[in-house]
Amino acid sequence: MARRFRVWQKKRGNRRTGSPKLGSFGEAVFFAAFFLLGCGGLAAVFATLVVPQWRANHEFVAGRCLVLDSRLGTKQADNITLYRPEIQIEYEVDGETYRNWTYDVRGEYSADEARAEKILAQFRPDPNRRCDCWYDPSDPNTVVLVRSSGWWAWLTLIVPFSFMVIGGGGLAYLVFSWGKSTERRAVLAGRAGSRGGNGHATSGFPCVPSAKNVTDSPGTTLAFRLPTEAATAWKLVVTILACLVWNGIVSVFAFGAIGGHLRGEPDWLLTLVLLPFAAVGAGLALFLVRQLLATTGVGPTLVEISDQPLRPGGSYRLFLSQTGRLRLDSLEVILACDEEATFRHGTNTRTETRRVYEQAVFSSQSSDVRPAAPFTAKCEVELPAGAMHSFKSDHNEVSWKLIVRGDAAGRPRFERAFPLIVHPPQNGNPDA
Amino acid sequence: MNGATVTIHFDGNGRVYHPGETLSGEYRLHGLEPDEIKAIEVSVLWHTRGKGDEDLAVHHFRRLEPDNGGWLAARTTGRFRAVLPNSPLSYQGMIVKIEWCVRLRVFLSQGGEVLGEKIFRLGRVASAKAAAS
Repeated sequence: MARRFRVWQKKRGNRRTGSPKLGSFGEAVFFAAFFLLGCGGLAAVFATLVVPQWRANHEFVAGRCLVLDSRLGTKQADNITLYRPEIQIEYEVDGETYRNWTYDVRGEYSADEARAEKILAQFRPDPNRRCDCWYDPSDPNTVVLVRSSGWWAWLTLIVPFSFMVIGGGGLAYLVFSWGKSTERRAVLAGRAGSRGGNGHATSGFPCVPSAKNVTDSPGTTLAFRLPTEAATAWKLVVTILACLVWNGIVSVFAFGAIGGHLRGEPDWLLTLVLLPFAAVGAGLALFLVRQLLATTGVGPTLVEISDQPLRPGGSYRLFLSQTGRLRLDSLEVILACDEEATFRHGTNTRTETRRVYEQAVFSSQSSDVRPAAPFTAKCEVELPAGAMHSFKSDHNEVSWKLIVRGDAAGRPRFERAFPLIVHPPQNGNPDA
Repeated sequence: MNGATVTIHFDGNGRVYHPGETLSGEYRLHGLEPDEIKAIEVSVLWHTRGKGDEDLAVHHFRRLEPDNGGWLAARTTGRFRAVLPNSPLSYQGMIVKIEWCVRLRVFLSQGGEVLGEKIFRLGRVASAKAAAS
């Protein structure tokens, strides 16, 4: 029984061990509740806001009325006084006289007292002046003095409608996937990796990233100039943001603490608590400075390659150029292959990277780099026969790259990565 | 239904295939009466194993049901055939592994299912450890 119906389970992404049926039932209840809540909300919004507004605008009959009295209606809500204009009018319908307090069909209160007063000023009691009014032909006691566009009423539909979409979408997905195997769902969802037809070979390379992004820039010495991996720029942006946010918050408290000390009223508890936070902030700032020096202090690195995409066992020429104004203590080029796995752990999504191949393809000792005389070098890179090709799916990736790593005098070590696309060998056979 | 099993055989006793090659073979259902079977699904697919969440893609899929042609012949034995794609190749990495297989799923009339699977290699990619050494 325990094997068939596990309520408690391990929460490890796709390796969860609970009852799938119970899980689907729970999801169905969750989405059904969302959907019903959305339906109920939609009905309520329609009944209380949209329909009355629409009827007032389209079905109410126009008439004339006499303003008898006016007052500022008030009510208390959460210790706030809310206001609405209330105007007593007298009007005739089919020879019968009606007297009612009204203004608009919504009868809503708001915190804007001035607006309510302004409306009341427009409807001062005057026995010699008649105003327009609109009454409900099926219930003449329901009458309004204004008819509005009511566009905001349609906006309120967004909330229940979004509940309906989430709930309905979830239910539709459950119905779609109910009783279907993983394979059938994958086929129906068009996730078939080959995408070239059922059981037929494809001319392309499914799950191998396109080489378009790495072949659209021609080189000056060799065929292709390799683009830089975007991760470096993102790392700098994230570091800047983290540094600004962290130190911004810390500085607010630091100003208070320092002010207390200057006034002779030191808050030692605040000061002590702030110290570790300030230390982390200083560390972040130092790290940012190192990143900025490594990114901007060293000129652009240019790598060109004789061919793309690469094949295992193939040999390719490389051209390396390092610009800027610096003294290089060392510069090396490394061919690397990384595996990257993304997995859910409880409610978190984590990514782990493991380097599975690394080979030095070029290294140079001390040299001077000047703007007019960049460091240049030519070398060869050879991919090992039988190596895995580039691969990318939703949660798993195998990526090849060239890494240029350098040590410059007075600057932190810099490292720049250039992605490569590796195709499978001819017929998948490295010996072919 | 107790003890029901599925066996899958590849033609030519092949275990390593190359892109563009035809994978063909035969499956047999054991311990099942014909009226116990509701449907059969034959898939040629790859899926990932390892640290990351599983990714799966089906290269060839065939579902056999009573209202489907070929049902009678497919009840206890059947054949499959697919031309294999260029990628992804089978791979034994450190945290990413790609495995190709033929999977047979038999849906039973009274609920439940019997699963059979046979792994094969697509391409000759060295394992990550071998490449690193």
